[in-house]
Amino acid sequence: MEFEEYVAARGQDLVRLGFTVSGDYQRAEDLAQIALMQAFRSWRKVRKADDPHLYVRRILINAYLSMTRRRSFTESPSAEIDPRSTVPDHATDIVNSDDLWRALAELSARERVVLVLRYYQDLDDRTIADVLGIKPSSVRATVSRALATLRKTRRSYRVDERLS
Amino acid sequence: MSNTDLEDDLRGTFDRAAASVPLATDLTERATTGARKAQRRTWVISGAAAVAVASVAVVGFSLGGGRSSPVQPPVAGVNTPTASTTVQPPPSVATVSGTWRPVQMAGVKSLKAPRSEDPVLVFRPDGTWGGSDGCNGLQGTYTIGQRGAFAATIGPHHLIGCDNVPHTGVLRAAKRIAVDSSTLQFFGADGRQLAKYTRAR
Repeated sequence: MEFEEYVAARGQDLVRLGFTVSGDYQRAEDLAQIALMQAFRSWRKVRKADDPHLYVRRILINAYLSMTRRRSFTESPSAEIDPRSTVPDHATDIVNSDDLWRALAELSARERVVLVLRYYQDLDDRTIADVLGIKPSSVRATVSRALATLRKTRRSYRVDERLS
Repeated sequence: MSNTDLEDDLRGTFDRAAASVPLATDLTERATTGARKAQRRTWVISGAAAVAVASVAVVGFSLGGGRSSPVQPPVAGVNTPTASTTVQPPPSVATVSGTWRPVQMAGVKSLKAPRSEDPVLVFRPDGTWGGSDGCNGLQGTYTIGQRGAFAATIGPHHLIGCDNVPHTGVLRAAKRIAVDSSTLQFFGADGRQLAKYTRAR
């Protein structure tokens, strides 16, 4: 498979994956681009992998986790934004309509990534562990902790909504 | 709510979120252009680093060579000694031993004029020198220090008048010498060349 063929077939999937882990459309495109750039540079190696798409997804996930570790990740940009160049924030619609999506924002980056890989990408624990470089037991523990946090946070949102 | 319900809700939420993502355009072009730019940047940085390393190596080699080779200190004025630009053994009693014939001497124009005796200088390994100014025998002692430092004493000799070659004046004023296989040069305190000799045999 040539690089262009891969991007045509899977590029949009990567942007979607970037959006589910980051919750930010602009960041999702950046993550997809970073992953594709790195894959392009070593495409011979990537195409020989058993699952090239898993290989590129691993690049994207690791790029996201690296990004969240940087100090600048939590800083707010202070520059003026040109409204003509902004993209629609689709996350806003989801946040407004889905309390679970809001609750996901309360998780740590790793917890959210594990949930995305398991419930959106449908990867098994062993593969998730391989992508993240951790043990399968750590994956299970992280999922359990994340689900507990989600349940608790979601419940509090619903109580707040009833009270308001 | 059971875990299964929550998991089902999660699947639905992720699917809806993913479906809401607008179609990204030019992903291929952006990825390939970005990768090529990054690669060019890497090449430029690598090239600059290589040039810097090479420069440091050249400078280091030059400095190292300057310390380890017996190059003479720079000499001001005309006729810089050739030994300063070529690697030669440092001047020593061994390297100057032999017979030398003058070919150039500051202020002297008639070195090739016929004389009763051959106006040569002879340096011996025992630290003495001898020779002739053309009509008087000459003798004395000499020492050679580090970096070609030179000093000579002039012994008693006749002063028969002829077209005398002033070896004694050269030896008395010389503070440094430079030697290669066929040339012996004397330099004064100010670094100027006083005389140049070639090996006679």
